[in-house]
Amino acid sequence: MRLGGTMPSLRGYVPLIPPVTILMMFFALPMGMMIGLSFQDGDTGSFSLTSYERFFTDDLALDGFFRTIVMSGLVAVCVTVMSYPIAYFLARSTSRWRAVVFALAIAPELAGVVLRTYGWLIILEDQGFVNDLVIQLGLIDRPLPLSHNMFGVVVGLTHVLLPFGILSLLTNIQGIDPNLEKSAQILGASRLSVLRHIILPLSVPGIVSSLLIAFTLAASAYATPALLGGIKFSVLATMIYQQVLFYINWPYAAVMANVLLVIVLAIAFTGARLESRLNSKLHVR
Amino acid sequence: MSAAEIADIELVGVTKSYGGNVVVVDNVSLTVPRGEFVSILGPSGCGKTTTLNMIAGFHEPSSGEIRIRGRNQVGVPPEKRNIGLVFQNYALFPHMTVQENVAFGPKMKGQSKSETEEAVRSALKSVRLEGYESRYPKELSGGQQQRTALARAIAPRPSVLLLDEPLSNLDLKLREAMRIELKEVQQQLGMTFVYVTHDQEEAMSMSDRVVVMSDGVVAQEGRPSEIYQNPVSAFVADFIGKSNLLPVKQARDHDGRLTLTLGGGLSLVSERSGDIPANDITLCCIRPENVQLARKGASGENLLTGRVDKLVNLGAHAELWVDVSKDCLLKVQVPVRRLQGIEIGSHVDLLIESAAIQPLAH
Amino acid sequence: MSKLLSVGYWVFFSFILLFIALPMVVVLAASVSPTSHVTFEFWTWTLEWFGKLWTSKWLDPFILSAKIAAIVAVISGVLATLGAYAVAYEKCPGHDAIMSFLLSPLAVPQIVKGVAIVLFLSSAGLFRYLGTPGLIAGHIILTVPFAVRMIATSMYNFDKNLDRAARILGASWWQRIRYVLLPLIKPGIFSGMTFAFIISFNNVPLSLFLVRPGQSTLPITVINYFEYSLDPILAAVNVASLLFILAVIFLFERIGGFTVQIHGGSK
Ligand SMILES: Nc1ncnc2c1ncn2[C@@H]1O[C@H](COP(=O)(O)OP(=O)(O)OP(=O)(O)O)[C@@H](O)[C@H]1O
Ligand SMILES: [Mg+2]
Repeated sequence: MRLGGTMPSLRGYVPLIPPVTILMMFFALPMGMMIGLSFQDGDTGSFSLTSYERFFTDDLALDGFFRTIVMSGLVAVCVTVMSYPIAYFLARSTSRWRAVVFALAIAPELAGVVLRTYGWLIILEDQGFVNDLVIQLGLIDRPLPLSHNMFGVVVGLTHVLLPFGILSLLTNIQGIDPNLEKSAQILGASRLSVLRHIILPLSVPGIVSSLLIAFTLAASAYATPALLGGIKFSVLATMIYQQVLFYINWPYAAVMANVLLVIVLAIAFTGARLESRLNSKLHVR
Repeated sequence: MSAAEIADIELVGVTKSYGGNVVVVDNVSLTVPRGEFVSILGPSGCGKTTTLNMIAGFHEPSSGEIRIRGRNQVGVPPEKRNIGLVFQNYALFPHMTVQENVAFGPKMKGQSKSETEEAVRSALKSVRLEGYESRYPKELSGGQQQRTALARAIAPRPSVLLLDEPLSNLDLKLREAMRIELKEVQQQLGMTFVYVTHDQEEAMSMSDRVVVMSDGVVAQEGRPSEIYQNPVSAFVADFIGKSNLLPVKQARDHDGRLTLTLGGGLSLVSERSGDIPANDITLCCIRPENVQLARKGASGENLLTGRVDKLVNLGAHAELWVDVSKDCLLKVQVPVRRLQGIEIGSHVDLLIESAAIQPLAH
Repeated sequence: MSKLLSVGYWVFFSFILLFIALPMVVVLAASVSPTSHVTFEFWTWTLEWFGKLWTSKWLDPFILSAKIAAIVAVISGVLATLGAYAVAYEKCPGHDAIMSFLLSPLAVPQIVKGVAIVLFLSSAGLFRYLGTPGLIAGHIILTVPFAVRMIATSMYNFDKNLDRAARILGASWWQRIRYVLLPLIKPGIFSGMTFAFIISFNNVPLSLFLVRPGQSTLPITVINYFEYSLDPILAAVNVASLLFILAVIFLFERIGGFTVQIHGGSK
């Protein structure tokens, strides 16, 4: 509250000094340095694109790059498909199970990624829970390859990211007027056609945001691919880690980090635009 | 100057504009003597809250001067002005009990514990809210919240209390009861009240003086009865109570008596030549209760005949819309017992006292 | 048709709930199973694995993680409250842009932030600060945006008339902060701090780069261990740390009261 010049307006910025300084020092500055480093020649320190050239001609790196995209895409779809029924239930139900389902949907967030990954390892590995069960039932005689591959990683990441999908769909579906569904039903629409013609079209913005958030978070995940994917499963995140801690090739690590950053930012940016376009078109909210 | 003559609040040519061109309050001057109950009355958006906020110190005027107890308030922040304010939504502190809410002011002013307790006790007594000390605002009814807000505002004993539509969130019954209580509290404490409202009944029933505002300017100022009986403009006449506003084609002055020629060949005589030159008169105002049913065959001036177009029975009295000429529908208020034989379509004779016809310039 | 659809919906629904619950249930069972073979024969269950946690091998990382998380929670609570005050409460000129800046770390993947911080520390000659100081700095970058968002929400929801009411009653700037603003946004601050604590305590991607031998956090210690074996003691560690998190949430809720609305009833 500034009063006719009795208080210099700069005073309003004083509380910002500590948080902005910290973010500048430990976020903005390091990010700038890292981006700068990726354009430096490893030996001379002069400007060069050699690290990028190397990345885009390195088969192993490209392999990891495309695996990142495929993995994130699969996870995004699984998360969204599995989040939808839960989010719809949470948005519409008034039953006392609602609180239980909500707690169950969000609680895994508290447990942390390590516990959940560990759980999936116990379930999916060769002598794990599932394989034990099917072998005992005599369905097969050799264990199914459920972990240390793409399948295991997608399962694990889907589990980790479900709460994000559920929350973004929930916000969207809660914004859809329930009377729309009722009036469609009164007009004679079956449950299926209400879903197809009313709810799904109106929840497109929520679906988009769930896909995007799951994609970007999957692309940046480290622990799940590293632990459930096994040694040979390399994605950008695991390659970055190896470059920093084993090969100590920092310019190359910076390049990979930048590639990941560009993917994530590009998706977040187009996603945000798409979402606001969809939202304004549908007049949701 | 004796104590009673010191004005508690003076506004001198106060103007508030936003962004240099949007003028929200325009050259308002106002003097509120100590102990008076003054209402600022006006339609929504006319600048009442803005005026109040300038007195409270939340906004600085763009120009003009505000004096409280004779001292210029430029640059004095609200916390130093020693005035009370009751908010429209009460703004009770939700995390404090009634006791803590009311004690807040005395505590901030650095009063001792016993002084604070005494102030709280007497404030709660004034608003008749003893026994609710340990409740939270959420646990109170609308009327009790309103009383708490009032108690909180008077507890530090400000010399002036500002109230911004404090009753507008209450239902009609409670609102009417609270009017009486507010007035009692004001008289008992001898505090100066500046009361903002858009409800003319509220303003008329409580105030010593009413300031009617319209579009940021003061339209009229005076005692309630004065404003009701002698509105200075069509706006005031229309805003305060019910009125017939009839266009005047021509006005002629005969030694203090005015002959007003209306449309449709009607002409009326008014005894209130007032200050308006005859040439400037464009309208006249007639209150519906000042139009009487005349006996059949009566004669004299200001006698009109017409056909009843609409009839609304309001219980104690009824409202008639009478077609007195081609383009003139006169609203008339009559006691219900006089309604015998009158129905829609009946012809009636009407009589208007010449003293009840108020000529207006605009 | 509609019947089939509805049955299909509920089957799928139950499958998802099972999917969500399964790994947690399995870890719980593993932590009390007598051998590395997970069993649901509860009469054989034992707490011996939990007993084995009482060695410095597990206690040291646990204490370090808890210490870092507590420091991170407090610092990011303070920083975020200051930031949110200027941006969301006082709405200083340019507040939208400043808010975007305060939230910007959220847009960057953690592993990228991790690389950036390590490169920064090394080129600034601060490599000796790996371990506790580096972990604290890194985690703060991660948690401040979340805390800012939560605290800013409660500041946006704050009724400015309350501040005016306090002001006209004679309260100074500091008194209004102390007696009106802070008590009312306390739930927001505490939920931000709780969030910061959990994020820091569970963090893997940033900590990976910032730990150093002898100063490793609990999740990193666990990960390094289970790249070699799936000892049930890991299940016990995970369950214990989950219980610890729940206890912390309970404690913070007790102090901050962030799940209840302001005093619905008794005090
Ligand atoms: N910050 C501002 N910038 C521009 N115009 C404003 C600002 N604040 C208020 N106004 C305008 O000033 C005018 C008067 O506002 P004010 O709140 O004083 O009205 P009011 O008489 O209290 O109305 P109500 O009875 O609805 O409360 C309104 O037209 C409003 O739109
Ligand atoms: Mg107003």
